[in-house]
Amino acid sequence: MAARKVYASSENALADVFSGATLLIGGISQYGIPKTLINALADKDISELVCVFSPCSEFGAFPLTALDPLLKRGQISRLITAFPFYQNTGSLIESQWSSGNLSIEVIPQGLLSEKLRAGGAGLGGVFTPVGIGTSWSTRYETQEIDGRQCLFLEALRGDFALVRAQQSDNLGNLIYKGMERNWGPVMAMAADITIAEVTDIYDAGDLDPELIITPGIFVNRLIQSGQS
Amino acid sequence: MLEDKERLPREVVAMRVAKELPDGGYVNLGIGIPTLVSTFVSDESMVFYHSESGVLNCGPLADEDSQDIDLINAGGQFLATVPGMAFFSSVDGFAMIRGGHVDVTVLGAHQVSAKGDLANWMLPERGVGNIGGAMDLAAGAKQVIVAMEHTDRTNNSKIVDECTFPITGKECVSLIVTDVAVMEPTHEGLVLKEIAPGWDVDEVQSITLAHLIITDDVKEYEL
Amino acid sequence: MLDKKVLSLDELAFKVAREIRPGNVVAVGHGMADVIGKRLSSAPDAWIIDGYGGLISTHGASKSSKDKQGSSFHGVSDVASIMHGGHVDIAIVEAGEITASGDIVSLSTLSTAGLLAPGWSVDLLDNPRRVIAVAKHFNSMGESVLKSNCTVNPDGIGCVDMIITDIAVLEIGDNGFVLKELVDGWDIDDLTADGSIHIESSQSITDGEVDKEEETELSKLYDTGVAAMSDLPDGATVMIDGFAGPGGMPHYLLVSLRDHGAKELTIIGNTAGIARVVNFGTPAGKQAIDHTLLIDNGQVSKAVASYPVSPSASRPTAFELAYRRGDVELELVPQGTLAERLRSGGAGISAFFTPTGVGTLIAEGKQSRIIKGKEYILEKGLRADFCIIRGYKADKLGNVIYKGTSRNFNPVMAPAADITIVEVDEVVEVGTLEPDEIVTPGIYIDRIVIRPKDFSPYE
Repeated sequence: MAARKVYASSENALADVFSGATLLIGGISQYGIPKTLINALADKDISELVCVFSPCSEFGAFPLTALDPLLKRGQISRLITAFPFYQNTGSLIESQWSSGNLSIEVIPQGLLSEKLRAGGAGLGGVFTPVGIGTSWSTRYETQEIDGRQCLFLEALRGDFALVRAQQSDNLGNLIYKGMERNWGPVMAMAADITIAEVTDIYDAGDLDPELIITPGIFVNRLIQSGQS
Repeated sequence: MLEDKERLPREVVAMRVAKELPDGGYVNLGIGIPTLVSTFVSDESMVFYHSESGVLNCGPLADEDSQDIDLINAGGQFLATVPGMAFFSSVDGFAMIRGGHVDVTVLGAHQVSAKGDLANWMLPERGVGNIGGAMDLAAGAKQVIVAMEHTDRTNNSKIVDECTFPITGKECVSLIVTDVAVMEPTHEGLVLKEIAPGWDVDEVQSITLAHLIITDDVKEYEL
Repeated sequence: MLDKKVLSLDELAFKVAREIRPGNVVAVGHGMADVIGKRLSSAPDAWIIDGYGGLISTHGASKSSKDKQGSSFHGVSDVASIMHGGHVDIAIVEAGEITASGDIVSLSTLSTAGLLAPGWSVDLLDNPRRVIAVAKHFNSMGESVLKSNCTVNPDGIGCVDMIITDIAVLEIGDNGFVLKELVDGWDIDDLTADGSIHIESSQSITDGEVDKEEETELSKLYDTGVAAMSDLPDGATVMIDGFAGPGGMPHYLLVSLRDHGAKELTIIGNTAGIARVVNFGTPAGKQAIDHTLLIDNGQVSKAVASYPVSPSASRPTAFELAYRRGDVELELVPQGTLAERLRSGGAGISAFFTPTGVGTLIAEGKQSRIIKGKEYILEKGLRADFCIIRGYKADKLGNVIYKGTSRNFNPVMAPAADITIVEVDEVVEVGTLEPDEIVTPGIYIDRIVIRPKDFSPYE
């Protein structure tokens, strides 16, 4: 009975992902990418997805990104990221963006994180002085708080979050491995439905409660995936 | 005298509330009658308890000989270790509450208004009170159920048209379960849903300061 | 130009490492900055935070230990808190353009076809004590990184302190660029093709060979609680952890604070001392030490709390009696709002909109706003001069783990005070705690005190 969060396949876990949905996709560079779920999403007949994924490729790195399976099928219409591509390296994001098929909203990485955290924590938004004085001040509402100019960052949430963890129990409690943690905890909070792909799924009680990073209350569905 | 008329014991109120907890849901229980609710959740139903002391999936209380000051619930009671617990900080605990991740909270109250305003943090005569996690739960939980006695110790109705005590949250209560009735605050007013065995509608109204909307489908308390 | 010597990444990293002092928190950005960050092991006892969420301690690295002991792993949101919250001593960013007034465009921003996508750069450049820009001096078009003006909107304004390129080290002085070091074979006139850029030459241009400083051992460990708070002044704001009961409460430090005697304190905590009166979370027959100690000693003038008084009016706490006498002020804050205000204080958030308290007394006098159809009120970040918290174990770098529900406000408060003192049962060797297990990283802990073995938290 406790296994009801555990889904037999990615297809089942992603069954209700719809065209136009906002997806929060965890992972940076090769760390913590929910590859199995992304590949399964590419097999679905859905499009017009809004994806939050950041950065899209490690700076200066080979142009492939974890989103390529979705980009190849033209499933993404809008991308929210702190770093979309390194120009002239042949990235699919750059070509789809320059041909007008993909819109890109750029947000500095830490500010994007605060917007998602606000969404996950039930805040309407936060004021921060970060970015004041730069051109970012002109892109956001500003207000003086206790004598200091601040930007307003409105909360951001997703319909779905796709994250990757190393271990979970069947209640959805997640443990990440090293640098794979990155976006997992904050994205898992900030979506209506959070789906985690996990290398090892244990019974409740097999994980040390002190080591759990994302408590199961933030996780709706689990799939087992052997990626290393 | 209706003051002396037999009312349902606290356990039965808790039992009635237990029926409302969704299978697979995350639930936060306040102090008092709400604490008793977990005892009456059916074995087939899976309910996960959240405590703002910083633990998820908490369950029964600890035996007297295994009390651990590092394992308590929000009421300061010692918890037993159960499989699948997770510990977290206060900021994460309240992110869960405000972020809409807690499906139901069951709270006690000093007063509830017909529109669902909740007053449970301060009695004006004391001049000072404790908010604790109540305002966050009132504002953040997807559903707020109040479980309480219908009247206070001096027989004043705790159900009122407008709260006279300082409120904890506005129009946040979706269901009130007392020792004589089950009521649903709506924009139109307070709808009487169920009454305790042996009570009639007029009797319930006569000890209730808010006007009750009576429909044809008022039932006897369903357990 | 092509045949002249340029510095390798290792040589560049060496020059960056020279700038790092023991205990410094160094945040590295993308590209070359990230590569250099991985080569800073010669910087003694520093913390290197990267954009992936690794908080790498270089402790022991100079002793050629490969597994960077004392390191911990964090999420993106924790990294953002470290950067925005003013916890970074040195930020290292790969520059695309730098001006003589210290404006900078990071290379990532410049390399995104006009989208000006900064990655972490804006976050990195916001709040560090020092910014070191690293760069290849000339890009593939042969253009110098030193500019008279940025060609696009800068990621940071007037924030660069030092520039380390593959041919030169410069500082930003009052009159612009000051050349400090130049690689052999290069001339000052090579540094920029633009004649309008003036570069002042420092008296002592070297080719970069410097004497190694002696390493100093930093210790966060104090012998007693009183010694750890000797500089806590009258009138200080002090955060005191604890949910309500003895679990997670720094009893020994509370006694130390009483013995220290500072007056006119503002205390911030979930309660203002209720455990003693109502035995909250306390084993039967025991009476826990709590904030009452400070109230009775006349040290408190104000409390900020969510659950300040006894749940029972007939059993008033020392705080409630003092409040009725008018001896102390009270700022009542809902518990989740308190937690969020503390997090904000540590994470560089000035204020936030929360739904908690809308329509109640708490909302009076506060800005409100409807966002996507829901009403919120504005609450502000909260910081303190000192913070006393209770951990279970710490290592000597100050990495802390907690036990069960005694975690509560501890990790939230630790980043939100200028000086954070932790009371632990045990201090373990660096490397004993697993990097995935550490809850509060050592960058947030200034002082460590071991609760004496014979100390009782009960009266």
